Amino acid sequence: MALPPPDPEFVLRGTSAAVHTLHFSCAGQEPDFPILFSGSENGFVHVWNLKTRRVDTALDGHGRKSVYWVETLDAKDRLLSQGRDQRICLWDLAEGRTSVTDSVFTENVGFCRCSLLKVAQGRWLMAMAAKSLEEVQVLELPSKTSVCTLKPEVGAKLGMPMCLKLWQLDSGSQPWLLAGYEDGSVILWNLSMGKALSQLVCHQEPVMSLDFDSEKAKGISGSSEKVLSIWSLNEQQNLQVHKIHKLVNSGISDITIRSDKKILATAGWDHRIRIFGWKKMKPLAVLDYHTATVHCVSFSDHRNPTERLLAAGSKDHRISIWSIYTQT
Amino acid sequence: MAVFDTPQEAFGALRPVCVQLTKAQTWENVAQLQARLGAVSAPALQELQEYVLFPLRFALKVPGPKQERLVQSVVQCISSVLAATCVKKQELLQELFSELCTCLSPPSALNKPALLSEELKLAVIQALHTLMHSAYGDVILSLYQPSTLPLLGFAVSLLLGLAEQEKAKQIKISALKCLQVLILQCDCQEHRHLDEDGAQQCGDLFASFLPGVSITLSRVITGDIKQGHTITVSAIRLFYQIVGLVMSDEQLSRVPKNKEKLSVEQSRISELMIHRGPDWSKSTAEKLTLLMHKIVESSSVHPHWKVKLELVELVHHLMKNCRQSLVDSFSHLLKALVGLVNDENSEVQNRCNEVLQSIAEQRIVAENRALADVLSENLHSLATALPRLMNSQDDQGKFSTLSLLLGYLKLLGPKINIVLNSVAHLHRLSKALMQVLELDVTDVKIVEDRRWGSESSYEPSGCLQKGKCQKKYFRFFTEEKVFQLLQQVCRVLGYYGNLYLLVDHFMGLYTESVMYRKQSAMVLNELIAGAAGVGVDVLHEREDSVNMDDLKGSITSILDEYTDQANWYLITSIDTEEVGTEFSVQHSELPASPGSARSSVLIPSSDPHLSTRTMNGNIWQICIQLEGIGCFAAVLGKDFRLLLLSALYPVLEKAGDKTLLISETAMGTLVDICEACSYDSLQCLINENSDYLVNGISLNLRQLAHQPHASRVLDTMLRHSDVSLLPLVEDVIQDVLSTLDQSYDNQASTFLRVLYSLMAALVQWFGTSCSEEHQQGQTAEWRSRTLSQVQQQQLVTRQEVERFFLDYVRQKQIAEGNLPDTDDEEADGVPPLAKPEPNNSDTEGETPLPSHAQLAKDVMERCIHLLSDRNLRVRLKVLDVLELCVTVLHPHGNHLLPMAHRVWPALVTRLISDDPLAVLRAFKCFPPLNARGPRRHLAPPERALLPSPVRAPTYQPPSREARWNGKAAE
Repeated sequence: MALPPPDPEFVLRGTSAAVHTLHFSCAGQEPDFPILFSGSENGFVHVWNLKTRRVDTALDGHGRKSVYWVETLDAKDRLLSQGRDQRICLWDLAEGRTSVTDSVFTENVGFCRCSLLKVAQGRWLMAMAAKSLEEVQVLELPSKTSVCTLKPEVGAKLGMPMCLKLWQLDSGSQPWLLAGYEDGSVILWNLSMGKALSQLVCHQEPVMSLDFDSEKAKGISGSSEKVLSIWSLNEQQNLQVHKIHKLVNSGISDITIRSDKKILATAGWDHRIRIFGWKKMKPLAVLDYHTATVHCVSFSDHRNPTERLLAAGSKDHRISIWSIYTQT
Repeated sequence: MAVFDTPQEAFGALRPVCVQLTKAQTWENVAQLQARLGAVSAPALQELQEYVLFPLRFALKVPGPKQERLVQSVVQCISSVLAATCVKKQELLQELFSELCTCLSPPSALNKPALLSEELKLAVIQALHTLMHSAYGDVILSLYQPSTLPLLGFAVSLLLGLAEQEKAKQIKISALKCLQVLILQCDCQEHRHLDEDGAQQCGDLFASFLPGVSITLSRVITGDIKQGHTITVSAIRLFYQIVGLVMSDEQLSRVPKNKEKLSVEQSRISELMIHRGPDWSKSTAEKLTLLMHKIVESSSVHPHWKVKLELVELVHHLMKNCRQSLVDSFSHLLKALVGLVNDENSEVQNRCNEVLQSIAEQRIVAENRALADVLSENLHSLATALPRLMNSQDDQGKFSTLSLLLGYLKLLGPKINIVLNSVAHLHRLSKALMQVLELDVTDVKIVEDRRWGSESSYEPSGCLQKGKCQKKYFRFFTEEKVFQLLQQVCRVLGYYGNLYLLVDHFMGLYTESVMYRKQSAMVLNELIAGAAGVGVDVLHEREDSVNMDDLKGSITSILDEYTDQANWYLITSIDTEEVGTEFSVQHSELPASPGSARSSVLIPSSDPHLSTRTMNGNIWQICIQLEGIGCFAAVLGKDFRLLLLSALYPVLEKAGDKTLLISETAMGTLVDICEACSYDSLQCLINENSDYLVNGISLNLRQLAHQPHASRVLDTMLRHSDVSLLPLVEDVIQDVLSTLDQSYDNQASTFLRVLYSLMAALVQWFGTSCSEEHQQGQTAEWRSRTLSQVQQQQLVTRQEVERFFLDYVRQKQIAEGNLPDTDDEEADGVPPLAKPEPNNSDTEGETPLPSHAQLAKDVMERCIHLLSDRNLRVRLKVLDVLELCVTVLHPHGNHLLPMAHRVWPALVTRLISDDPLAVLRAFKCFPPLNARGPRRHLAPPERALLPSPVRAPTYQPPSREARWNGKAAE
């Protein structure tokens, strides 16, 4: 008999608004405590101390407009947050400071999350949806210089970019961008040429989220439909549909592959978090706790594997924290 | 008085008497001399000393039998001369010494005190005493030459004989005193201290007497108690003085390896001399150990405290001087010392403590492995015997046995780890503690005492006593001080011992058997307190104070074990209401703390015929664990805040337990936690940590078996907090309601309790707005219950008073039948133009309800479903809750009425065809109805259902009333 699905390890309450994005920062060593950043609909970024399970600080920098992407630059002291006020803020959180040191005005009205890639020590690339509807712009951080602007061919009718994923095979090699569009297609962009290399129509509906495993050259995307689409990238840099995984309920708002590429988690509109084995897409668990749409899932980067966690943020204002490493 | 100051004058005065005495040795002549002596000044007599002594000595030396009376007076006279003068010649000293000794024993009967009168013996002893005091410096040392050994030996044996065999107390004491002087250990100050060589020499000499002296003295000490304590005390003192001198480490270390060769003429004497080599000292120590054992045995139980005090001195002296030579005897000595630490006599106690302190300070034990071994050996044998002793001894005996145990531990101090590192020792010790600490679990009352708190209305918080330990009843002892000793034993262990080792060991025992579980939990609690240095009474500070991280680590692991489901959810009652849930509690290795109520296997419902003993035991175990948590909090202080994450939820759960003892203990623990984590009050503690609690509740609600616990936690939170808690728990109350929706059948009663607390709390918190109406209520019971709240909380303003009277007048008119409105039929569907309700609450109809009222509405909704439950208990409870819901919703008439409308049919059913209890309760439910209730319910249904005109019109148009009427009658 299969084990019944586990309960959350604990639940974080107190954002008092729907949670749209989560990001762990647990790599620090003692006496640093593990941290979870959450961005919520009311424009706050909460910094959760996972040791006391309480909010350490609440950052208010997006004019009470929804925050839908948070990410750290290396350490937990420097945080990027993207909000519906069309700004991306860089926070300085060292030594108890909570100030915005820099910001980028995106002029984009969509809700496409940015993607960040560290290309060298102290140098990052950030892909973001640009001002004009179909474009994606790639900036270099921290200088904020534009690296390239990726425009689809005229008449492609892709619609807005919905999700982005910057990746590279190994550090130092050429960076690539995968972008999911409103029309349900995923495009692989070559950043240096600024050219779309391959396009694959995965979904009939807008691509809500995608993640890519550069080792296996395999990616996964989800949309508002009842399917997960797994596709692969062959040597000729062509995207091919690998498999379609059918779901019971429709709507996937977030997909994350764990850093060890063994499992992945999806955030469903059906209030559930699903865990799959990445290799064969074997369903492992359905985590049922939330009472509203789950908006985001995130795996922690703790050094100690047994202390790694999965967090899910939902529309019901709660963030559920699960310990699934011991179970899978 | 001295008449003759100069030697010449004195000579002139004394000469005739002396001559007279020389001529005729009679008693009269001696008396005359004695009389004259009184008139001579000391300096003058010093000049004439030998002259005066001559006739006296002559009188003693004259051959032939002498009158005893004469001898006595001569000896007394000599003694008075000596008292006033100094002996300056060695020969004189030796001669006098031997002459005096001879008086006691004529050479004919060697070594046997002659059959002399007691007075004479006393006189001679005193003369000897005086003689020894009148000689100074080198002169007296001349007596302690190898050549004088026989003479000394003779004197010593004589005196010993007297001390042992005489009947007269005075003689015995004098003889012992004299012996003391003889071994140069007199108490008086005048004596010059011997230099090292002198002492060494004396030691060599006295070594010859040691066997005799020690054996005889030990006989005196262990002799009949009737001989009086003074003799025993002097004998003990003499014993340790001579042993301390001869066996002194200092002297023994300087004894040359080989015996010195003495000149030929001394060879005979040299045979008498003893060489204090290692062999000798070893064999002597062995023999002394036996004697010491006897002495300790008899003196430590001596009825007189001075003897015990002297025994302490003995230990002190020997410990100081003979640390190495007498190490074998130390087990006896320490036992004596440690045993006397808790003597009834405070002087003995103090001195004992001082001595122990000094021993500890000198680090005699800490730096002496041999001594530590002795102690640990003692400890081991004591631990072995402890269970037996605890079974057989009376409380006093147990007390002294445990004092001994504690003393050993204290003395061992940091060396305790030697004992602990040996598995056998630790095993013995822990098993002994386990057996001694066994609780008495036969009391039925513990199981029977229930908390009926949930039945009574809201408990006032803030008047709680600081959590102190519940009084426990033990199988083997009753006295509190015995328990305190045991507590100290554990704390001292924790203070010095290796914490990890100890915690590990006792945790092992904890999990090993249910038999040991309570005891080991108790020990663990005390260990932690001891490790933190709380309430420990020790002799010396430990070298390194405990590492806070270690302490925290240990506490965390103990805490996890305590709150493990298997150890936390124990069956404590066979209450029908709880039994179903308690039995189905899932046992697994997971802690009870929030977030971990994961999947687990249901245990098969255990033996339903649980003995009271088991339940009593379980109750105590939970209490001990709760006390432990309180203690951990006190130890960690603010650091405990981090552990609240896992600890607070289980404690609150127990605070809501139905067993009185458990809930009281848990409340005490909460107060302890408050204090330790520096929260101002219980409310603060609950409110500031409500996130942890809410998390726990919400997660546990997902597990059927944990639902009762979760609701209990919420119940406790509501009970002990204030209105500021409401926004924090609203979220989880919704969870509770939705859980209830899923399980009306089986969990209703558990949830009803929490709903009741919730509503009671709401009434309490929002009492001002709610209870206004009820002030007018006719029910006496209602009044009595709410009036106090109203009086406390409501500041009655003038307007309110006015409104009250206006209301009252109108109500009265209505009651009398003067309805202000028109007929029922006429107004159908037409809302009244003038709102009869004087206060403005009606206008809220459009605005959203305040959260508390919304909650009340939600709860009322559930009540409707539950009103027809099969279980009478549930129905009654629902009616209670309903009543409170109505109270809360009162100011919000527009919301209350539709609800009331829906409740009505079910309520009517209760009224007409239910158990009398339910009927009664149902009447109380609607205060408006209640006014006429008792008469109504006998009437035919149609009439009973008529809403009372007293209050109903104030809520709504009469038309609706009519509809109610019709509907209900269907």
